[in-house]
Amino acid sequence: MTELGSILWLTLKVAGVSTALIALPATLIAYALARFDFPGRRAISALVGLPLVLPPTAVGFLLLRLLSVDGPLGRRTLGFDLGLLLTWKAAVLGAAVMSIPLVVRTARIAFEGVDPRLETMASTLGYSRLRTFLRVTLPLAWPGLLASMILGFTRAVGEFGATVTLAGNIPGRTQTLASAIFSAQQVGDSARADVLMLIALGLGLVAIWASERLGADRRAFDRPGVGAAR
Amino acid sequence: MSLEIDVELPLDRFALRVQERIEAPSLGVFGASGAGKTSLLELIAGLRRPSRGRIALGGEVWLDTERGVFRRPEHRRLGYVPQDGLLFPHWNVRRNLLAGADRVGGDREIERVFEETVELLELSHVLDRSVTSLSGGERQRVALGRALCSGPSLLVLDEPMASLDLGLRRRLLPFLERVRSELTVPMLLVSHDPLEVQTLCDELLVLSAGQVVARGEPRRVLTDPDVFPLAAEQGFENVIAGRVARHGVDITVVAVDGASLDVPRWPLEEGEELLMSLPASDVVLAMERPRRVSARNILAAEVVEWRDVGREALVDVELGPVDSGTAGTRLSVQVASSTPSELGLEPGLRVYLLIKATSFRLYGSR
Repeated sequence: MTELGSILWLTLKVAGVSTALIALPATLIAYALARFDFPGRRAISALVGLPLVLPPTAVGFLLLRLLSVDGPLGRRTLGFDLGLLLTWKAAVLGAAVMSIPLVVRTARIAFEGVDPRLETMASTLGYSRLRTFLRVTLPLAWPGLLASMILGFTRAVGEFGATVTLAGNIPGRTQTLASAIFSAQQVGDSARADVLMLIALGLGLVAIWASERLGADRRAFDRPGVGAAR
Repeated sequence: MSLEIDVELPLDRFALRVQERIEAPSLGVFGASGAGKTSLLELIAGLRRPSRGRIALGGEVWLDTERGVFRRPEHRRLGYVPQDGLLFPHWNVRRNLLAGADRVGGDREIERVFEETVELLELSHVLDRSVTSLSGGERQRVALGRALCSGPSLLVLDEPMASLDLGLRRRLLPFLERVRSELTVPMLLVSHDPLEVQTLCDELLVLSAGQVVARGEPRRVLTDPDVFPLAAEQGFENVIAGRVARHGVDITVVAVDGASLDVPRWPLEEGEELLMSLPASDVVLAMERPRRVSARNILAAEVVEWRDVGREALVDVELGPVDSGTAGTRLSVQVASSTPSELGLEPGLRVYLLIKATSFRLYGSR
């Protein structure tokens, strides 16, 4: 049971750290994509969405090449070893890269749901851009942003392909819920796979329930008049 | 107010070109939709930059493209009221009202302005309500209050009543009237409602295809031969201020300058001041006092002037006996363009007006 506990703990740790790591940059990228037109906007949008359409193992392998001894982020190039590969940190990296598209997309929709005329209104009331963002945009987009974090977290919990490629599947060190289910099934231990699967099912249900709740909160902000066509 | 506008901005179908200096405390900008009203307003608010131009309010330069001056909207101290209110949905009424208040000054000053505004706009009973639960009229009052609480040096109202139905307009109008008469903030009102601009504005500027085609006293401008066709579909409506003198069984008697008028029985207090409208086309001109007619109002008046507006002519008259000394209410009467010469109208001539009581519409009380 302690062994199951450590799998669950590592899974939650990897997903938690990965979500925390991408929360700020993904939110800012989503805001920029939702609100501003700048050179390279399409390129960034495409780049950020790429992990969604690539096989996770391909993404993992790409990261592996970057981090390998001779790669651009490898020991020879940098002069020191980042020491990521085959550790839980590599699992975090894989999970983070794989969940960025989902987080950015959801957050972008959340920002796009905020009437830009409310931001204009705030500026005529003396609000700077930063203050408008913090006091108007962020609170109004908040339920959607929180939902984006939950989705990012669950995506990280379920991450398998990129994680296995980068961090391996080492029991007690880099074995997460997803890779543990795979291992159990591979060795024919159905009972163990069932337990792990049920845990995953529970986590998933809680996440879906939470993001649905946030969706309900969000509707409370909608009102006739806002965003009416002029 | 001393608002100096000299701007040029290419738009889709024409270029907006406005070069005006405005001193009136309350200016209306009138024009059909697509005439460039909103663009002009966005330029003044700093939400848009003109290709060339200069904007200054009371000597404070907001924009000068030649000298590279551009004051950002947040530094213009503008009280902006859009037609849909644009209240912040995540805050209650109180927080909305105080949203821009910190540029007013210290806490005590903020409180004074806040309380003054809440009283003026009668908002004390909704302060803790969510803005999503407000009616359309209340929402606009809160939007107006939020602008007033932010210590504006210029109040900009962009069709503040356009989203309301007639009944609600009638109830919001007195509040706008109060803001105009009791506060010293200069006001800029964008509207395509002739009644609204006549009621609220000292001076009117008419935009058509990006150009100023007329400017002056609202009633005068709206009956101008160049402007009248812009609103010809609705015709011209007189706005008349008066006071309830007494109630009869089936009518109410309203005292106006130079006459008392029979109007439909309205649910108002005796002595209450009111505004009513009267379509210029609902008035019959007679050269002699008619007898035994069904119209409730037969009023003596004096011809001031008349002018052709297309196939029609508008005759300006002043109510009251000739040479009574005091200035009577002015009305415009719409007749066929050949009528003035057929009747031999000339300035100073006495005429009689026939008006049915039901032609008067209650527009607002205060």
